[in-house]
Amino acid sequence: MKSPEPAKPGMRRLVSRSAFALLSLSAAAMLGGCASATQSTPTASPSAAFKPAAQTAGSQITVWADSTRLPAVQQYQKSHPDVKMNIVTYDGSANGSTYLQTKVQLFDRTGNGWPDVVFGSPTDVTWASQPTSPSATAFAAPLDANLVPQQTLDGFAKGSLAPCQFNGHTYCLRNDIAQVVLWYNKTLMDKFGYQVPTTWEQYEALGEQVAKEHPGYLVGAVGDTNSQESYFWSSQCPAFQLEDPATLKVDLADGNCTRMATLLDKLIAAKAVTTQGFFSQGFAKDPGGSKVLMANGPSWYGQYLFNAAFKVPAGQIAAAAPLTWEGETTAATGNVGGGVWMVSSHSTNLKASTDLATWLTTSNDFQANAPTYPAYVPAAKAWLANPANSKYFATDISDVFQQAADLVWTGWSNTKFSDATAWSNVVLPALTQGKTLTETLPQWQTAITDEAKSVGYTIATK
Amino acid sequence: MTALNTGHEAVSSVTPVRRRAATRGRAGLAGYLFVSGYAILLLAFGIFPTVYAFFLALTNDRGQFTGLNQFIKVAQDYRFAPAFLNISLYLVMWLLSVVVLTVVVAIVLRSRMRPRLSAIFRFLYYLPGALAGVASVLVWLFMLDPAVSPVSWLLRSLGFADFAAVLSPGDLPVILVLIAFWTGAGGWIVVMYGALNNIPDEVLEAARTDGAGPWKTAWHIQIPMIRKWIAYMAILAFAGGTQLFVEPQMLQTASLGRVSPTWSPNQLAYVFAFQHGDFNGAAAISIFLLALGLICAALLVTRSDLFKVDES
Amino acid sequence: MTNASNASATRRRQTTLVPNLIVIALFAALLLFFVVPVVWLLLAPTKTANELIHDNPLSFGSLANLGAAWQHLIAFQDHALLMWLRNSAVYSIGALVITLATSVPAGYALALTKFRGRKTLLVITLMVMIMPTATLVLPIFLELNQFGLIGTIWSVILPFSFYPFGVYLVYIYFATTLPREILAAARIDGCSEWQLFTRIALPLAKPVAALVAFFSFVGNWNNFFLPYLVLPNSDQFPIQVGLNQLLSSTPSFNPVAGAGLNITSPELALAIIIAIVPVLVLFLFSQRALVSGMLAGATKG
Repeated sequence: MKSPEPAKPGMRRLVSRSAFALLSLSAAAMLGGCASATQSTPTASPSAAFKPAAQTAGSQITVWADSTRLPAVQQYQKSHPDVKMNIVTYDGSANGSTYLQTKVQLFDRTGNGWPDVVFGSPTDVTWASQPTSPSATAFAAPLDANLVPQQTLDGFAKGSLAPCQFNGHTYCLRNDIAQVVLWYNKTLMDKFGYQVPTTWEQYEALGEQVAKEHPGYLVGAVGDTNSQESYFWSSQCPAFQLEDPATLKVDLADGNCTRMATLLDKLIAAKAVTTQGFFSQGFAKDPGGSKVLMANGPSWYGQYLFNAAFKVPAGQIAAAAPLTWEGETTAATGNVGGGVWMVSSHSTNLKASTDLATWLTTSNDFQANAPTYPAYVPAAKAWLANPANSKYFATDISDVFQQAADLVWTGWSNTKFSDATAWSNVVLPALTQGKTLTETLPQWQTAITDEAKSVGYTIATK
Repeated sequence: MTALNTGHEAVSSVTPVRRRAATRGRAGLAGYLFVSGYAILLLAFGIFPTVYAFFLALTNDRGQFTGLNQFIKVAQDYRFAPAFLNISLYLVMWLLSVVVLTVVVAIVLRSRMRPRLSAIFRFLYYLPGALAGVASVLVWLFMLDPAVSPVSWLLRSLGFADFAAVLSPGDLPVILVLIAFWTGAGGWIVVMYGALNNIPDEVLEAARTDGAGPWKTAWHIQIPMIRKWIAYMAILAFAGGTQLFVEPQMLQTASLGRVSPTWSPNQLAYVFAFQHGDFNGAAAISIFLLALGLICAALLVTRSDLFKVDES
Repeated sequence: MTNASNASATRRRQTTLVPNLIVIALFAALLLFFVVPVVWLLLAPTKTANELIHDNPLSFGSLANLGAAWQHLIAFQDHALLMWLRNSAVYSIGALVITLATSVPAGYALALTKFRGRKTLLVITLMVMIMPTATLVLPIFLELNQFGLIGTIWSVILPFSFYPFGVYLVYIYFATTLPREILAAARIDGCSEWQLFTRIALPLAKPVAALVAFFSFVGNWNNFFLPYLVLPNSDQFPIQVGLNQLLSSTPSFNPVAGAGLNITSPELALAIIIAIVPVLVLFLFSQRALVSGMLAGATKG
């Protein structure tokens, strides 16, 4: 093997010369007058009349649904065989995913490809109701503009369409409401001889009692991407409170936040509340759903978590009214999710698209059997009356559900960023490492503030 | 290839100057035609995007010149420093493990093992390379989940009770190194082995008769002789490491958001572009990465003897 | 052999006993590290999701389970998996054809013809070759958008076709295997430049073309970032992006989400296997190609 020869100087000179050219170019760039690097904000007036795309009757509509809602769309297809549909499964914006948002950005750039009907989270409506750039049209079509009759919109539960409403228009139909109630295993509670708590103080005391008397049984879990909504929202913690459309109040030092953090820390230390999530991979195996004595969680825990995932037999699970704090007269509760259906403003078959979205949210055919509690009032009645629901639960949950639906605290706003991101990548890993919630609150505060600022909010802490 | 090229440069240098000049015109035109297809692609997907990235990074979305403001803006973003810190930590661990382990393994395979056995080992180490990209991440999601992992006993004994515990932010660089090593190291072991094979047996024999043990031979003869290959590997591994995207992105999905969506600089650029609609900021981040890559490329081209392009 | 050297060999053997044990341990650990995940992956689709959690991780389930997993996977989004595989094949092979059609003549010209700018082109090729491609994806996206190519197959095939490493390999190959004198002699015999290329260079280029094809195909088949960005619709996804969608939209990694689908861990494992089959087949025969490709630069010295 010959020893390598050194590269010829000519080559080196060439490389260094081009490097020099590049450097001097950028140096010249630095010297010039410089404009601001901030993005221009789209100034399109949202009040401008909605101009639909050219319509083609009977053209195919593309539907994006998460896997939970997939059977519903398939059911519609089966009952409406004449509608041409292309059904695509995606993550449904769960767990703070921004898949839909990034794809719509892409479609706005390319000028085609938008799905006609999508299932998403309330967070999605915050950006979908605005144009993504000065030249783009907002993705979501204003459904109150001659698409969905006012009568139908009026049929949705009070306040349930609030996340859909911007600038006086309604941009989505709410699939379900997810008011937080206190779920409990009645069979176990009776067996252990416990009273169902009505206040958080009783809940805390019972949790500590369970830890002593029946170690291994759980009164809650905080490890899910949405646990903050079950607990801190219910506690009326001002973590995501819009004071006006551009100002967000984030104050986790508020007493309403610290009281919940303290309570949960005690129960976590006692091992009555787990830092695992009910929805985490390992939970179903160990400890498993049969160890869940109580769970403060949304209305869909009943069918979706206890029945479908934990496979708890019928006649055991019951729901109680949201817990109150001692000394407080009005109860308040949280809300976990509650998906929405949006119709694309670019759809060339608005008729079929709107019809699908309306059917999905209002038809008893699907909603009465849905795993989630319908936002549309007549469908909710049918849901409660459905034997599959009434028979599964140990007690009549109708009153509790209806009562809780009116108690959802309005101080936890639907912001332009998901409230799940900071919770799941800052707070949850800290809890897994054994830190307490109380000591993690400042980090959570910083994470929310950073995220809020990056999407343009002004922060108020008091 | 080695044997074939030895005479070529010497002969070509004695080619009469006049004939070269004569053929230059005809072959020159033909040369342009032959490279034209590639040159168009190079312009379109190599040079133009680079220039365009600079243009974007130096302007705002109204097309106004912003100087270094985009760079300052992204560098001040709260996600910028963590992303670059993450990637640096990862790169240090990845480079150390890939350089040390592949070289050691290749040397042992070359000099301490029967050829047949060595071939089997090389093949088995090399095979996971077929599962690069998304597939490797998915496989490792299973490997790292104590609920299904074949080594759950190991994970548990290390104190990882569940998947969430495995995915704590501090462990992420290690996990990504594991994945990268699993898919990439085998290929490099094979390449290093090939490089070692190029060392003539006489050299090793001479060392042995001089009384050098296998470790001494490795340290004083073999490693110096494949030094430039180690440098080549290190630089390519570094350049590849700066572009992490799919791995943390999928871990983010699979961990249900426990991993930051802006863990790596590339992910941050992606978020800037497609979530904030800020392509200029995204380009500025790309330029930071590009600068890293270009420094590597320049180092490799100018400082090492690997890419001598000066044959006449 | 003399007695002296025998003695020294024995001594050496004794002193290397401990390092030997370390080496053996290291090799065993590495072997397990590289092989166990592959074995697990191959066994996973034969079990149900439940068996995956509760049975011995390295046990075989049943072929019936494998069949069931296949059925579930195929049913996902109306044969989406097969569509993704087909897309991957179209993108990878399409790009491969253009790559070969451009890189073989370019490498030949860079090695064996003279033209102004040749060196510059060579240096740029080397620079771009080592540059991290992912950083260029965003500007490429905007560029493709300008030409209205986003969402078309060309938005993937064209950027994939640009493969400077391939040009470099061909360049090295011709520079080292084809003496200029042969071409010069043929020129005197009246061959045109085109004839030189097709009659002399092309027949010689087979090995290097195969090498370029291997690297290009594997790289493109496994590429995720570019198609993830430029392809909005799931019907157009290549298998890599499809796998990501499978992960995020099914209960495969989140056992309680998405009660409506049968895509759980075994189906996901099967999808991984299917996704890598083409590359795996190439890998079984490619070890030598890898060595000669990667060492192409070194052997020149």
